[in-house]
Amino acid sequence: MKGLLFGILVFFILASSYAWSGDIEAGKARYAQNCGNCHGPGGMGLASYPKLKGKEISYLVDKLKTYRAGTRIGPNSDLMIMMAQPLSDVEIANLAAYLNAEK
Amino acid sequence: MIKKSKILSAAVVATAALMASPSQADTMNTPNISAMSIMNGLENPWDMAFTSGGDMFYTEKCKGLSVKTSSGAVNALAGMKGSKGYASTNNDLFCSGQAGMMGVALDPNFKKNRRIYVASTSDKYHGSGCKTNYEKCDGNIIMRMEVSKDMKSVSNRVDIVKDIQYKPFESNHPFGGPGAHNGNRLRFGPDGYLWATTGDRHRGVVPQSPTLLGGNVLRIDTDGKAHPGNKPPKGFDKRMYTYGHRNVQGIDFRPSDGRAFTAEHGPWQNDEITALVNGGNAGWDPRPNVGGRGDCPDKYCGYMPNQKEGMLPAKRAQFMPMSDTRFKDLMPPAWNNNGLSQGTGSAAFLKGSNWGYWEGRMAVGIMGIGFGGTPSGMRIDVVDIAKDGKSIKSVIHMPTGLTKRFRGLRLGPDGALYAAVDEGEIYKITATAK
Repeated sequence: MKGLLFGILVFFILASSYAWSGDIEAGKARYAQNCGNCHGPGGMGLASYPKLKGKEISYLVDKLKTYRAGTRIGPNSDLMIMMAQPLSDVEIANLAAYLNAEK
Repeated sequence: MIKKSKILSAAVVATAALMASPSQADTMNTPNISAMSIMNGLENPWDMAFTSGGDMFYTEKCKGLSVKTSSGAVNALAGMKGSKGYASTNNDLFCSGQAGMMGVALDPNFKKNRRIYVASTSDKYHGSGCKTNYEKCDGNIIMRMEVSKDMKSVSNRVDIVKDIQYKPFESNHPFGGPGAHNGNRLRFGPDGYLWATTGDRHRGVVPQSPTLLGGNVLRIDTDGKAHPGNKPPKGFDKRMYTYGHRNVQGIDFRPSDGRAFTAEHGPWQNDEITALVNGGNAGWDPRPNVGGRGDCPDKYCGYMPNQKEGMLPAKRAQFMPMSDTRFKDLMPPAWNNNGLSQGTGSAAFLKGSNWGYWEGRMAVGIMGIGFGGTPSGMRIDVVDIAKDGKSIKSVIHMPTGLTKRFRGLRLGPDGALYAAVDEGEIYKITATAK
């Protein structure tokens, strides 16, 4: 029984860490849909739109989820809220994985 | 009968051959276009200016003014606060959001007087203003400097315009950060005067104000004084050639008649190209409680009636028109962007027979803004404007092969079109007529 419980625990830990690690290629494809229009190739940052490449995964996920919740956290919030609202948890994880991996 | 049919067949074949032959394309004289990156690794290059010998001065929004000489050497001339590696530093010049060091132009008499003009954001003249977003804030300036003979430094800075409006703080708007809407493109006209564009800086009262410099095209001499022929309405600042603009980043002069045309950003609808009329009103009036509108967030209606999500552009345009027909002195646009705003960044008329049948047409750089369902649309358009400046005859997308945020366009002395893109590069776009 203990073994089974341990197994279930390990499964959930692995499953959750898999979801958090995100799929870099899928993130790249999602980024290309509309993020790159402002943040530029590979999240390099353009004009008044900030650089995203190389940022911590936790930071990126937190920002996107905050925008998705409709919370204003800076001057371009209205734009980012609009962009983040359609994103799923998986898409956010993928985007964060992709941008984090860009150096 | 047979003979007739043979003749007819021969004629059909000959016609088909003519249609398919290269000579048919040659009569169109469409230029071959090729684009080559000539600089990369820059930080938000914004504008360029060329000497007749091919030296290219360029600005980087948060760094400063540099030159790439015709021999290929790059010299960093005038830096902004915090910039490193420049021959001199100007601690009053800063960048924030859309604002920073932007337009650059060379004196028509540069060979003799070595003078260069640069538009930038500065905190030198804030004085007692700029404490809130709702008061006068003199934060954009035009400087005149002199370039040394060896092209390694600048000196003798004189600020010839000190009171162009600037947005000091964040506001409740999309793109609502400080530094919004500065205009700041500089070009010398065929009249030898300096033309400078300005923006509404997200303050509702600015574009229709008789005294605040913002949302205008200025026409001034090289000391910053008004051209004696400017005809703004009575009581207006005489430096204004036109008023009532939103954010003009593109201006150039049609080679055939010298007339000034602007390319202007729309809000979420209607980028525009406009033939300027001396003293004319471009018709942008984002004040609350006028034109049938009520209160608006932070006293600026520019993104209403719905600034949080996409909506039908026509409805936006009806509520908050770029060119409001209420105004009797309205300059109607020659072109609008099919109801979209994709960010017209700069403009340059194409000169020289190498441009084939595009010679004399206006190239317009479009940066691409993909919000509210708008297709991003990064491109350079080639626009054939009607003689009277009130309409266009055609628009062709220039086949550059590039999808970039085209911020600054300038024709070089070699007849090539140079394009600065937000991605940190400057391209040389060459045309060869067939």
